[in-house]
Amino acid sequence: MKKTLPWLLWLWISAVIVGAFYYAPLAKGFIGKSSRILFFHVPMAWVSFTAFIVAAVWSLLYLTKGRRESHDRAAAVAIQLGLLFGVLATVTGALWARVMWGAYWNWDPRQTSILISLLFYAAYLALRGAVDDPEKRGRLAASYALLGVVVTPFLFWVMPRLTYTLHPEPVVNADGKIEMESRMVQVLLASTFAFTVLFFWMHNLQCRLQALIARKAEAQE
Amino acid sequence: MDASGGDAWIVAVNLIIWTGLFVYLLRLGRRLRELEKES
Repeated sequence: MKKTLPWLLWLWISAVIVGAFYYAPLAKGFIGKSSRILFFHVPMAWVSFTAFIVAAVWSLLYLTKGRRESHDRAAAVAIQLGLLFGVLATVTGALWARVMWGAYWNWDPRQTSILISLLFYAAYLALRGAVDDPEKRGRLAASYALLGVVVTPFLFWVMPRLTYTLHPEPVVNADGKIEMESRMVQVLLASTFAFTVLFFWMHNLQCRLQALIARKAEAQE
Repeated sequence: MDASGGDAWIVAVNLIIWTGLFVYLLRLGRRLRELEKES
């Protein structure tokens, strides 16, 4: 079963890619076929958000469950991956903005908020790099990542809604409903699910790799 | 079905990128399992 799961994911994401181009219709009001980027841009932003929340959960575990190094590592890896997916969401968003608004960067509230959130978590990595003592580094980093529980939802969900934005209507509107053609919703949800599973797979691999590196370093000392 | 034949190459490039990443992750997983057994 464990060996089948990755192949199921390969099949699932391949189906999403084909579905995004041959099953889902084009959205009205978008130039050319630019709306297709939605099926990749939105899940990437979602995974970035999820990763930052996952990092906060691991950080809380680190602070409350005996300061285990594996918890600290899991939080750091989640933030690294969150940054990766966040950068991809920003780049795909910028490409979309170029087609729709004529410029890659417009300081739109949504663009600004994701930039601030990326800088916030880049500072987390800088903080980790600046402290040598593992115990102190873990404690400081975990406290900082926990702060993200307040900062991340504000930057992703609240700030872009505070002022006028060029960004298309949020996928889930103010009434909590998804107003989209049903085939588009199917592909978008399938893609979001697949990207989330991909994130957890990558997170698992990276944590195991980091654990092996740490073990090797300990053995050499 | 409103995708024209012009989209086929974009789909192909996406599938190649995804398959490349998938194979990399699969091989990494296998290698990690081997190393975990050894250590």
